[in-house]
Order: sequence, then C-alpha cells, then structure tokens
Amino acid sequence: MGGNNRILAILLGVLAGLVLIVGGLSAVLLLSGGGDDADSASNGGSSGGDGSSTAATSGRLRLGGSDPITLDPALAGDAGSATYIVEIFSGLMTLDEDLEIVPDLAESFDVSADAKTYTFKLRGNAFFHNGRQVEASDVKCSMERAASRQLGSSTAAAYLNDIVGAREMLAGTAREISGIEVVDDRTVRITIDEPKPYFLAKLTYPTAFVIDCQQAESNPRNWTRQPNGTGPYKLREWRLGERIVLEANTRYHLGAPQVQQVVYELAGGSLLTRFENDELDVAGVSVNDIDRVRDQNNPLNDLYVTTPEFSIAYIAFGTTTPPFDDVNVRRAFGLAIDRKRIAEVTFSGMLMPATGVLQPQLPGYTPDDKTLQYDPEAAKRALAASKYAGNMPAITLTEIGGGAEGSVDTQAFIEQWKNVLGVDVQIRQSDAATFFADVDAGRLQMFSSGWIMDYPDPENILDLKFHSRSSLNDIEYANPQLDGLLERARVEGDPTARIKLYQDAEKLILGDAAILPLYFSQNHVVVNQAVQGWIEPPMIIPRLRYVSLER
Amino acid sequence: MAGYIIRRLLWLPVTLLAVSFLTFSIARFGPGDPVTVAAGQIRDQEVLAQIRAERGLDGSIFEQYGRWVNRAVRGDFGESFQQRGYTVREIIFPKMWVSAQLGLVALFIVFGLGIPLGLLAAWLHGTWLDPFIISVLLFLRALPVIVVIPPLIWLFAVRTDILPVGGWDGVFDIWWIGGVIAVPIPDPHLYIPLVALTLPGFAGVARLVRVTALEVYTEDYVRTARAKGIPESRVATRHVLPNSLLPIVTVVGFALVGIVEGAFFTETLLGIPGIGRLTFEAVGSRDYDVILATTVIVAFLFVVMNLVVEIVYSWIDPRVRLGGSAVV
Repeated sequence: MGGNNRILAILLGVLAGLVLIVGGLSAVLLLSGGGDDADSASNGGSSGGDGSSTAATSGRLRLGGSDPITLDPALAGDAGSATYIVEIFSGLMTLDEDLEIVPDLAESFDVSADAKTYTFKLRGNAFFHNGRQVEASDVKCSMERAASRQLGSSTAAAYLNDIVGAREMLAGTAREISGIEVVDDRTVRITIDEPKPYFLAKLTYPTAFVIDCQQAESNPRNWTRQPNGTGPYKLREWRLGERIVLEANTRYHLGAPQVQQVVYELAGGSLLTRFENDELDVAGVSVNDIDRVRDQNNPLNDLYVTTPEFSIAYIAFGTTTPPFDDVNVRRAFGLAIDRKRIAEVTFSGMLMPATGVLQPQLPGYTPDDKTLQYDPEAAKRALAASKYAGNMPAITLTEIGGGAEGSVDTQAFIEQWKNVLGVDVQIRQSDAATFFADVDAGRLQMFSSGWIMDYPDPENILDLKFHSRSSLNDIEYANPQLDGLLERARVEGDPTARIKLYQDAEKLILGDAAILPLYFSQNHVVVNQAVQGWIEPPMIIPRLRYVSLER
Repeated sequence: MAGYIIRRLLWLPVTLLAVSFLTFSIARFGPGDPVTVAAGQIRDQEVLAQIRAERGLDGSIFEQYGRWVNRAVRGDFGESFQQRGYTVREIIFPKMWVSAQLGLVALFIVFGLGIPLGLLAAWLHGTWLDPFIISVLLFLRALPVIVVIPPLIWLFAVRTDILPVGGWDGVFDIWWIGGVIAVPIPDPHLYIPLVALTLPGFAGVARLVRVTALEVYTEDYVRTARAKGIPESRVATRHVLPNSLLPIVTVVGFALVGIVEGAFFTETLLGIPGIGRLTFEAVGSRDYDVILATTVIVAFLFVVMNLVVEIVYSWIDPRVRLGGSAVV
C-alpha cells in the first residue's frame, strides 16, 4: 500500500467523522420532523395536554437555585442563603409585597414616646413547624444566640447593635442582651440606644429571626438540616448540589401557602434551556438570551418579566490614594464617561443607568439624574484644575474576573478616559477572594464595586458605606459635613425630614464624586403561564406564599 | 513480594504529607481567605478576625498544618466554609460518588469499544481501513466536551424533547415488569454526558492497543504459532490479544483514579452535582479544607493504584518481578 493511499484513507476517515456528526444531527432532525410545532406549543406554556401530566396533581413549583451557604438565619449574610431562610423562618417584622414593614410573628407593636422602646405583642397562632407555640423567650434567646461570640456571625454586629446591651454581648462581656425583656409569654420589649427609625427595617433581616433555641442548642452543628422554623414553608429535603425541597406549612400564621411543594434545582446548567424544556417554572434571562426573549415572535416573550432590583454597581475610588484623593480627578473621571450609551450597548439595556445612589422604590429615590453627566469639556477642565494635572501617577482599576482584558463596559470606560482625559488606566482582574482582601486592606486605587440593599432604608447604603467611621466604608471616604447629615438622619423622627436629610447626603456624595454610580440592576425572568402571583421584588422577601399554580 | 508491597506502603504517609503540606501552603499563601469570601458584602474586619480565630485560621502556618494533620489522621477533614455545618467528608464523598458513577460507566464504554477497535485496526494493518478507523477516532478525539455538549442539548433536549437538559438521577432506573421482575435501564440524564465523555476517549485506547498489537504481531512466538499452522483467528485471540492488553492495565489503573477527580466542564454545563465542579468552586472561595481533602484523596488513590498496577502486572506477566533491582 503506497503512501498516497494512506493519506487518502486518513482524509476519508476525517470525512467519515464529519459525515457521522452531520448525518447524525440531520437524521435526528428529520426523525423529529413534525416535532417542530408541537415543541414550540409546549414551550413554557405547558397548559397544553402534555405538560400537565404529573405536575398538575402534585402542586409543585420548580425553580432554579444554588446551595445556600447556611440556613442558619443568624449566620446568613448573602442573598442566596436568605432566599430560603425567609421562607423557612420568620421574625417579629417582615416586608410585604409592597416592601412595607408589617408585623409577622408580632401581632402588633407599640413605640414609646422617646421612640427607644418597642413593645411587641406576639400572635396567638404563631407556631414552630413542630407545633410548639412561639413565645417571647424564643425571641430573646434567638437574638442573644445570634449575638453570641461563639457563633461568629458576621452580620450580628451590623443588625443587632442598636439594641441596648447587644454590643456587650457581641464583645463577650455580657451573657444576655439587657435591652430585650420578656414581659410575659406573648410580650417582648426591646430597648434601643437611640431613637432610630430604621430599627424595624433591620428586624426584617434574617439575623433577627426567631429560631427554636432548644433545637439549635441540642444540635449546634447540624440543626439547620431539619430546621424547626416558623415560616410558610418547611425544609423537607436538601441534597447538597442537587435539590432543595420545601413543603407547605399548613399552620402558617399568615395563612397557609397555596403551593404544596417547591423544588429548587441546585445543580446549575442552562436554566433558560431547562425552562424551555418545561423542566423549570421560572428562569433568569442572561445577556446572551435577552435579544431572543425580547423578540415579539418568540414564545418566551409573553412570559418575560423585568423589574428593578435594589442593587447598584459603581466605580469606587480609594479616596486617600493618589490621584483620587483629589476631588477634581474623581470628578474628571466621572464626567468623561457616557454610562447611558455604554449600558445600552454592552448590556443590551438590561441594566438601568444609575441616577444616583438611591435606587427606584427606595424612600428618597427621585427619577431625575443626579450623577455627573457626560461632558468631555468639563472633564478636561476638572482634570486641569487638579493638583495632578501634568503629573498623573499610574492608575490601575481592579475588578473581579477571570481574564486579563476586563469586562466589556470597563474596557469602554478605559477607552473614554484615554480619549477624553488622555489618561491611561491599567486593568487588573482578580478572583473574588483576592479582590475582597485587597479592598479590605485599602490597597486599591480604583475598583468596580457594588452594593445590594439588605433592607429598604437609605441608611442601609448611605450610612453604612459612606460614614467615615462605618466599618463598611471601604473607600476611606471622610466628609465631616456628610457625617453630620447621616448622624442627624439616624435619629430624625419625622419621616419626611429624615428622607430629606438622606437626599442631601446623597447629593453631597455625588458632588464629591466619592463613587461613580454606574447602573441599577434589574431582574429579568421568564415565568410559566401556570404560575400565578409570582412577584419579582427588588430584594429578598418571603414571596412563595403569594404563588399559586393553575395546571 | 509481600516485603516489596510493605516497603512501598511505608512511603505512602510520606507522600501524603508532602502533597498535603504543599497544597496547604499554596492555598494559605495565596491572597484572600474563606472567611472573607463567605462574609460577602458585610465585612467588618474586627468581626472577621474573631471568626478566623474561632475557626482556627490564626497562628502560624505550621501550627495550622499541625492541627489539620492531627484531625486528618483521625479521618476528620474539617468543615466547609461555603456550606456551614457540613463536614468536608459529607460534602465531597457524595459528589465523588456521582462523578465516579458517571466516570465508571464512561470507562466501560471507552475500553469496551476502544480495545476491539484497536485490535481491529491492527488486524487490518496494511489495508486502507486501518488508517481510516484511526483517523475517525482522532477526529472525535479533537472534539472538546464544551463543543459537543451544546449541540447535543439543543438537539435531544430542546428541539426534540427526548432527553432532559441536565441534572442527575443515578445511573439506573428500575423498571418493574408485572411488579415482580426488576429491569435496570440507564437513566435518561446519563446519555448526553456519556456521549460527551466517551467520544474523545476511544482514540487514546484504540491507538494504544493498535500499536502494541502491531508489535506483538512481529514477535517470535506469533511467527512460531503461525508456523505451527495455528489458524489466524486463534493466533489473534490466544497470542496477540492477551499480550496487547498489558499496557492497558496501566491506563485503566490511572483512568480509575481520574474518575474521582470529576469532569468540570461536563458537570458544569449539564448541572451534574459532581466533584469536578465542587473542587473548582472550592478554589474560588478558598474553601481550604475542601481543596485539601480532594487533593489528598486523589494523591492517596494515585499511590495505591500505582501499586495495584504493579502487582497486577507481575501477576499477569511472569516476566515482571516485583522488588527486583530493575523495578524499584
């Protein structure tokens, strides 16, 4: 056999490989022939005959999700964990679908004249999943456990420290929180250090939730695997990385939920594809799929919902690090970028250009744009006025990511800074662990950052991120005038005056260009027609109890 | 031989200590730590320092490593930072089991089809079919799973709805015939990952078998057998086949270790709760104890499998003597 024949055989082999694949593909396509329209009919809709086979009777809602870091309310500090915790547990107060703070385990509450003492009356029909009635002592021991040193909660200091005696408990110098008083079985009195209007909002966060202390004490490591909560759903099954199954708590004090079972598929994969294949009832839409979903002719379009989210992305400056210790440089950088166009082009308009620090639906939000507007001339003037004009040090922007190039929008900003200001900004991407370590050590000049609201009060972002003495102020920003406004807002009793103070604070932050707000996030989801009452709130709130299924 | 095995096993703890200490130091000298990652956006440095102390992350690296070894020898690999309240063992073993099941089935198919194909190619040596078979396999070999999986999903799940898009539900479903006879049938979640994992695998096995078989065909004993007038089919099955499979033992041995490392892309794209994805995520979140445990377990299996391969070799091939000066 000659060499030519051999090469011919190899070529034939490769050809056969191709034929195998292409042929296989087309064969299946041909076989499925009629499947075309049948397929699009069953898309998501599932009201058609086929989809309603097993799912109809079981009353089972199928969602995508990921493993929570913890189901212990006192330890959770992330939205992923909170998603499940708010359904399994509850606290004295909660947020309803309009984000109003309403009583939950509490039936009612009274506030003292000095606005420092809250007396909560518990509901007579509030029970743990095991049938035990919720008592005032459960409230006290839950919060004390959250604040205990041994538990090592990273959120307790932020959420409970307004309560008198909580700091001592957190520091390990007290064995109880003196400001929580059990008056009788159904009455608990909480005293806070100063009249703080946002205190009730903080109680809606999992750190302040009620747990079954006996259960947690008897099995401190593993009690959250079968948590005895008080929420609308019970944890029925949690297989790591596979699924979480919640079962309706028919004795729930705010009314039994309508969906019997909620299954979260945790293993990932393409959730939208699984939605289209009728394996999930709700799925998020990513930037890769958004054009397809927005297409009027696509069956998914009717099922598409988009709502705002309490979350802001911004560029943060190390405000004590050259050259960003000069307000003129910060302003110049803000004036030189056209966020609106970049948001439109790079994210297909999936994100809303930020109009300030406070996000839509938050108290104090106004729709007018308060951020620095794109103005190349003004940007150049600001830079020229800075003390770094002509001797600009090297600048690096750090963001979370796995490549060397930088995300698309960051690249666009860097391009604009170069074109408008003539400043070269280097980009550095690092993984989350490295990034957080660098941010916390104050090592970064300039970084992509953001904040997700934990409770719908301006204090949660303005005070926490910008007060000079806040432990979460990671840009080392210090402005005495701002501190003054924020401290007055903390104790201002008149809601309108208080919101006004926060709006002034926001203006100050934006005028100083402490950060450059970029976008407000939005939820983009598709929801199966059979799912009624699904809400996409701007933050994590208990929502499964509003849902019903019609199939 | 027993002496040899014991001598080799005595090295095992030394190997594991070296591997674990290296992994331990690399992880800790890297920037960031699991407490920071787990805390998310509320990172009060004072609180975090306290949690670090509580979780044994303070003190020198030798102290920390000492504590880890002390626990590890008693089978306690620590607790995850990303899954509070779960021990590392509870987290990794179920995932390793999922990956191992999938990997094992894939191995069976790869070797079950790859070996006959390789022998066939060797047998057809000199005809155009030999390079033909091998080049088809090489073509398949060049298909990475990330290229194979999306069209498979589109075709079998989205377009035709024959198979599920992803997920995992064990290897076998049991069908009961008349409620009495149990028939195990492969679970539908299995097909797409199996195709993706096995397609590239055939080529390696088939080529190895083909090369060794060709060598064996030129051996004296094959010529002798043919000279004695033994039929060609018997020469192939009795003389060529067993001798061609010797190097396969090594490949199978290490492939078996590989399956507990998981398949990152396949698991991620298809939503299979396996160890590959877990390890990747553990590195990202600096989940020290999870990273360490998976590394040490794989190292352990590797050393053991190495020994097993040697023993099997000496057992099936009388020419190989364990403990002889040439082998150690």
